[in-house]
Amino acid sequence: MIMSDNIKFSVSSSPHITSGNSTRRIMLDVVIALIPAMIAAVLLYGFYSLFLIALSVGSCVLAEFLFNKIKKEETTVGDCSAVVSGVILALNLPPAVPFYVPIFGGFFAMMIVKMLFGGLGRNFANPAITARIFLMLAWTGIMTKFVKPIDLSKGFSEMFSYFKFAFTTNGMDVVTGATPLSYIKAGAFEHIDLTDMFLGRIGGSMGEVSALALLIGGAYLVVRKVIDWKIPAIYIGSVALFTLAFKGNIDYVLPSLLGGGLIFGAFFMATDYATSPNTPIGVVVYALGLGLLTTLFRIYGSMDEGVSFAILIMNILVPLIDKFIIRRPFGYVPKKRERKPKKIKEETK
Amino acid sequence: MIKTFRRGIHPSSNKLTSDSSLTIFPTPRIVRIPISQHIGAPAEIKVNIGDAVLAGSLLAEAKGFVSANIYSSVSGTVKKFESIVNAQGNSVMHVVIENDGKYDAVNFEPLDKDASKEEIVARIRLAGIVGMGGATFPTHVKLSPSKPVDTLIINGAECEPYITCDHRIMLERGEEFVEGVAILKTALGVERAFIGIETNKKDAIEYLSNIAKERGIEIVPLRPKYPQGAEKQLIYAVTKRKVPAGGLPMDVGVVVDNVHTAYSVFRAVRLGEPLYMRAMTVSGHGVENGGNFLVRNGVSYREIFEHTKGNKKEEDLIKVISGGPMMGFAVSSLDASTTKGTSSILFATKEDVKTEKITACINCARCVGACPMGVMPMYVERSVDIGDIKGAVKYGANNCIECGSCAYVCPAKRPLVTSCRLAKKLAREKGVK
Repeated sequence: MIMSDNIKFSVSSSPHITSGNSTRRIMLDVVIALIPAMIAAVLLYGFYSLFLIALSVGSCVLAEFLFNKIKKEETTVGDCSAVVSGVILALNLPPAVPFYVPIFGGFFAMMIVKMLFGGLGRNFANPAITARIFLMLAWTGIMTKFVKPIDLSKGFSEMFSYFKFAFTTNGMDVVTGATPLSYIKAGAFEHIDLTDMFLGRIGGSMGEVSALALLIGGAYLVVRKVIDWKIPAIYIGSVALFTLAFKGNIDYVLPSLLGGGLIFGAFFMATDYATSPNTPIGVVVYALGLGLLTTLFRIYGSMDEGVSFAILIMNILVPLIDKFIIRRPFGYVPKKRERKPKKIKEETK
Repeated sequence: MIKTFRRGIHPSSNKLTSDSSLTIFPTPRIVRIPISQHIGAPAEIKVNIGDAVLAGSLLAEAKGFVSANIYSSVSGTVKKFESIVNAQGNSVMHVVIENDGKYDAVNFEPLDKDASKEEIVARIRLAGIVGMGGATFPTHVKLSPSKPVDTLIINGAECEPYITCDHRIMLERGEEFVEGVAILKTALGVERAFIGIETNKKDAIEYLSNIAKERGIEIVPLRPKYPQGAEKQLIYAVTKRKVPAGGLPMDVGVVVDNVHTAYSVFRAVRLGEPLYMRAMTVSGHGVENGGNFLVRNGVSYREIFEHTKGNKKEEDLIKVISGGPMMGFAVSSLDASTTKGTSSILFATKEDVKTEKITACINCARCVGACPMGVMPMYVERSVDIGDIKGAVKYGANNCIECGSCAYVCPAKRPLVTSCRLAKKLAREKGVK
């Protein structure tokens, strides 16, 4: 037997080639897809938005890094998933929150929701959306104060004007209680301008207001096959259908789709891999559930908005969906059930 | 609409050698012929050291029904018997023959056109013909189905990247190949025969369509996708029949054979030549003069590398792969010999293959979306990792055909095929179904 002492080739199992894709590439694609929404935030609310995004991303990355260090494990920040969570969290915040809000949010999202459950791919719910809900419960006042977009006609210095809210929200010229969704709830359609809603000239979280920017980013994700197009399509479509069914008035439909972070949630948060089902049928069930819950919360709930809670609840239901809906193998033959017709007959006699 | 199957992947085809015509590979002075070149029992050695043999002399006889005869590929003298690690990593007995360089051959009596079904199958069995796409399942077993069969499909998909030898056979030995298909049709007693060819081989489709039509054989163009050549996927693409999970092609009345197998059947039946030589693609960025060669069995990989390397160096090779990059075996050394199943040898450098770091599963379910067999590889891996074999089987592990589509698309580079393979092995050992 020739015992080759010249074994020097790599002898791993097939396949020997892989696609060029990687986790990092996917995460960077999501960041790229969020750029239009970030640009919209800066144009609408000035450079303070950029500052908040930076704080949020910084604290998310730092939180994950510290967690790795505490656990004495290999650092995982290189996969860029913390950056994605940071950007999404920031865009979920009202445009002029104090600086400490994204820091608390970032640490909560990474430490509690993501890393404690095992890190990337293991989180039970979307970190950004869970952090948003946490922040809403912790600072309800701040988190529901939506400042008006800046007025650039007053000069370029307006771009920096919202830095004055870094420590306090006092003196804010707010649109509180007058977001499009609250108008919808009140049936006050005369206050709703669909063009403003489409472009983002409305009150709302800094990243969710501009439907246009979000749709550009969403289209990029679909084209790059980063996300499953079925989730946003079915989610947004079912909100339209359910709204029409519950309200019976077509006027409600378009404003409902454009407002309240639906497009943001549908493309960027409901599609989180770890918290969406892994089968095509599961995805349909999940997206329909999202649409139904969102509509129910909006119409019958006490809050104007329902996307965050709908996503959180459906996230938690995903393991259940994945447990009951699994893929059938190619050429699946159903097992014949053992029938007991005789016994039944005897009993009936 | 050009036919294909569901799901699957699109690896870059890298057919570097598709224009290189078949040339005879110069056989070295020593050949080492393994006695197991097929799935099933190894053949039993029938020669002694010092015996003079001719090309086509029986070296080892099939042991049982699922086994195949092994013939000498050269004329010369039997020198010794030696156990060598083959391409699959198993120690196999090899018959070492000193080649006298004369290539004197001994053939069987050719069968004529009106040979019966039974005569043909007996001849194919005698000639030691096995599936030459790489699986090396004895062909005579396939030709003796225990269920009624109405369709023959010839696999000309050649969906593995790099490999081009079937393409070249279709182009350069088209008449003989189609004759081989007609013989297989007779052997099976079927009316319908299809040759499935991916549309990236347009020249072969065009060239063969007229020849095949005369013989009542239909060419089916297929949309290029991997793994089109996998038996169940090919059957679905061509006939829309679904082989039941755990079943065989004959359950839906189909037998599938490879292009090269059909060509070898022609040689065995019409020329009386046993199988001891085959067309083979030598490719990859580790060699300069790769191409498609007719190689006698028992040539060492080292000889093939030395002959084709040009100015390339052995140190630059990362992997040497027997077969294609998706399903082939990475060999540990160049001592392995070519066999009936060696469709390709890929000398791979860093331009061809990469060793990538495995990271955490991100639950993206791309593997689920790619798997042509409906397996859920991510869950199979998780189940196997915690020793839950029942769980692995529930998620379809036993249906895995090891095509590698899941691991190919995985952004975290997880070894999903290895997990499925392990799950299947453990399920077999523990009797979990």
